[in-house]
This record gives sequence, C-alpha cells and structure tokens, in this order.
Amino acid sequence: MSAGFKASVSVAGVGLRQYRRARAPLPERGVLVRAIVDACEDAGFDPADVDGFVAYGDDKNEPVRLMSDLGTKELCWSSQVWGGGGGGIAAAFGNAAAAIASGQAGAVIVFRTLVQDDSGRLSGAVMRHHLNDHILGAGLVSPAQLCALRAQRMFEHHRVPPSVAEQLVRASYYHGARNPNAVSYGKELDLDAYRSARWIAEPFRLFDCSRENDGAGALLMVSTERARDLRKKPVQLLGVAQGAGKGWGDLLENDDDYASAGFASVARRLWAQTGLTPADIDCAQLYENFSAQGIASLIDHGFCTYENVAEFVRFDNLIAPDGTLPINTAGGNFAEGFIHGIGMAVEAVRQLRGESANPVPNAKTCLLAGGPGAPTVSSAIFSNEVVS
Amino acid sequence: MSTDKHSAVRHTAGADGPYWQALAEDRLELPRCEGCGRWHWPAVFRCGECGSWTQHWHAVPAEGTIFSWTRSWHAFDGSEGIGVPYVSLIVELPQAGGRRLLGLLEGDAAALRIGARVRGRIAVTEIWGERIPSLRWNLVDGGAA
Repeated sequence: MSAGFKASVSVAGVGLRQYRRARAPLPERGVLVRAIVDACEDAGFDPADVDGFVAYGDDKNEPVRLMSDLGTKELCWSSQVWGGGGGGIAAAFGNAAAAIASGQAGAVIVFRTLVQDDSGRLSGAVMRHHLNDHILGAGLVSPAQLCALRAQRMFEHHRVPPSVAEQLVRASYYHGARNPNAVSYGKELDLDAYRSARWIAEPFRLFDCSRENDGAGALLMVSTERARDLRKKPVQLLGVAQGAGKGWGDLLENDDDYASAGFASVARRLWAQTGLTPADIDCAQLYENFSAQGIASLIDHGFCTYENVAEFVRFDNLIAPDGTLPINTAGGNFAEGFIHGIGMAVEAVRQLRGESANPVPNAKTCLLAGGPGAPTVSSAIFSNEVVS
Repeated sequence: MSTDKHSAVRHTAGADGPYWQALAEDRLELPRCEGCGRWHWPAVFRCGECGSWTQHWHAVPAEGTIFSWTRSWHAFDGSEGIGVPYVSLIVELPQAGGRRLLGLLEGDAAALRIGARVRGRIAVTEIWGERIPSLRWNLVDGGAA
C-alpha cells in the first residue's frame, strides 16, 4: 500500500450527551438524536443535510431509523465497523472518510450510543459478541478476565512494572477531576483506595477497569473544503488505520505477540501514512478499557518499550499542560465516563480546538487509539493544522 | 462432575467439531495439517499456509506449561457454578507445536506462575447453567521449577 492518506476530511462538529449508567432520560434513539443535533449545531449545519452514518461496537441504532427525527433528505451511507469492543472507534472515521472522499456521501455522522435499559450492560454485550465454549469452559465470561490474562503476561513475563498502570490511571483521574463534564469531576484519585481496592481479576483491581455510562456521542465529518465554511475551525483527519496483522486476531489466546494490544501493524501503517512519528504527537486519547491495555497501546504505537516503559509512563509526563504526552485530557474512559470510547474522539476534537478543560498549549496533533486487545483495532491522528 | 460429558457436546459441525467429540470421549485431540505439518489452533477448514484442506486430528497429552493466568475474584454473571475465587489458565502444549489451550486450575495454587508445568484432565464447567466440557489443570510436583 502506498504511503499517504488520500482523503481530505475534517470533523466539523461534535456532540456528547453523557449520563450515569441506567440514568439516561430517554431511550437510545432519543439520546442519539440529541447528540447528533448537538454536533450539527456545533458546526452550524442543518441535521437534515446529514447523509451518512457510521458506528462501531455493535451499536443497535440503525441509521435509517433516525431519518424522521433528523429530517434526513436522503440516506447515502450507512455502515458499521466489525467487532464487539472498542477496537473499531478510529476505524469508524476511516469509513466516514472513505464515503466522503469517494463521493458516496457528503456529511457523515460517526456515533456510538449506550443506554443500559435498551442494550444491557456493555461488558456483557461485548462478551456476547466474542464468546465461545472454549473460553467459557475456562470460566472466562468478561472482558476484564481476558484482558487480565494479557496483562499478567506483560507484567510477569515481559517484566513491565505494574506500577506504570497506576501512573496511567492517575493521569486519567487528574484530568477528570478538572473536567466539569466528567463523572469524576472534583474527585482526585485516592491512591490508597486504588491500591487496596477489591480484586476483579488479577492483576486488575476495581480502578484498573473502565466504568460504564449511558449516553451518546456524535461527530460530524465533511470534506475539509466544506468544513472551512462552517462555524468551527476544522479538525482534519490526517490518517487512520484499522485491522490485524498475521498472528493476531480471534485466536483463542494464541496470538503471537500475546501481551501486546494488537496495534503493531495498525501503528506501522498509521505512521507510514502520515509521515509522523510518536515524537510528533502532542497529546493522545488512549482508549483504556483496562489500565494495562492502555500501557500496551502506548508500547505498540512506539512511545516506549517493555524495557523503558517506566521512564515514559510517569504521571508528570502524561498530564496537561506540561507533560510530554498528555493523555485522556477529559478524563478518559476511567474518569470522564465511558460510552464505549466515543467521548475520547470528542475530546480529541475539543483539545485541538482549544476547548478542552485541560488544554495542551499549542497542541497540533492528537492520536486517537482505539480499544486495545480487541481482535481488530484501529488508530487515527487528528490535527488542527489543515494541510489540504 | 464426571458423568455425562457426552450429553454436553454442543458443537460437532464446526472446524473444531472433532475437538468437542474427543473431549466428550475423554480424549484430548488437536488438528495438524497433512500438507505442511503445522498444528492449527483455533481449528481451520483450510490451511492458510499451504492450502491443504486435510487436517488430521491427533491425540495430544494434556501436558504443558502455564503461558498466562488470572484469578477471578469478582463473581461475574454466569460463573456461579464455578464459584470465586478461581484461576483460569492459558497452557502452552509443547507436543502440539506450542499451541495454547485454556482451562481452570485445580489443586494447590501456591506455586502458580508463568512457566510452571501442568498436567490436565477433562472435566465439565458449568456456565450460565450450561455444562461445557473443558480442561482442569494441576501443577506438576506442586509447581517446582
């Protein structure tokens, strides 16, 4: 595949409606329509002119059912990324870019919706997608346990110090405590509570696990040329990659690079496509379903290695405004809230517009790394410096 | 829970059908490509390496080393029939090309560690009230290196 991302597409508007788990005021479609209209108002764009939709993670809201609420004039693109987990979040932007760049649609909403009364617990839904009798027979019934197996290998065999997980969790909570829209707003992480919290599945204790929330997020994507005429400054998609390398996938725990997060081939293509390196990334929205998987994601993307991870993954290094790589600047899945990661994509855009609660001065690039450890993963890079 | 393993066979038509059939008859069998000799797990219909459609199933000793493990403490929905805490294992089988199988640890867990030798037997795990044939592993010599 030749280097270079051929599409010139940008995010023009974002909308995020988040509620406590099982507390959404409306069923899923109602919450989603609100988020889509929010994204359109953010951009100064008529919702009736949205003609495409992309979701991921087995979202239940088929776009055709939104048409009456939105006044959709014509539905031209309707797709979803395969996979039950959050691995497809960045890939969803790739689908939208493909639709726009090929002329199949002009204004595409990327979305994810979760309302427990409609779709049940997210952890259960993710597992239903991936379960089979091989893993059930070993008592493995939740994403936490499967990610714990990879984490244990990373800590015990590859000698990654477990203390780096704490640094990552602290950074997410630091940002969440300073974000008025975060579930953990105003609440610092109590380190004693973190360290003594009940075990979920070793090596994970309670605060190593993401929470779950009700809500919906929506991002409006159009061509960069069209985005220039809208209300907000465009945030351009510089590149995006999805997939799995040979030896990674849905392999009953037989993956070659087992303790990784599965991004090796995706990261290689993303860097080649954009001509960027980890040193060019100013901040990252790093999907953390579990703490160790966030660490593995950083390693896979080349920010650090098994050997030097403790030098890079330090709390001071991961927080705004002065860290080398501020991560999860709205609080991330741990502390902002978890609508299957869509809040992280919204924060990538807000950060690059200067709208974040934890601004990173002069940030020009933001990495969005999707759900680590999933059979199919994806990553994207956004920028506020429009290049074409 | 050693009685009616056969009645628990739920999958016979998939690429891994012979695995379940063998477990039900108290044997561990894994597939190896007739074309290139590669052990495939998960099972395949066609070998993506050499193109052969012929996979032969071989009896494999339930012996290997722990590749990774997790001890579950949270009573996850569906696991009530096992009862927490319990240890899930990934076991690497040197006699099947290093392919890995899953299972539960039973017996003394004091020496639980990656690399420890284990020996398995075939049992039944109850999940959401369903009885699933599966492997139970014991640390060999209490996990001595």
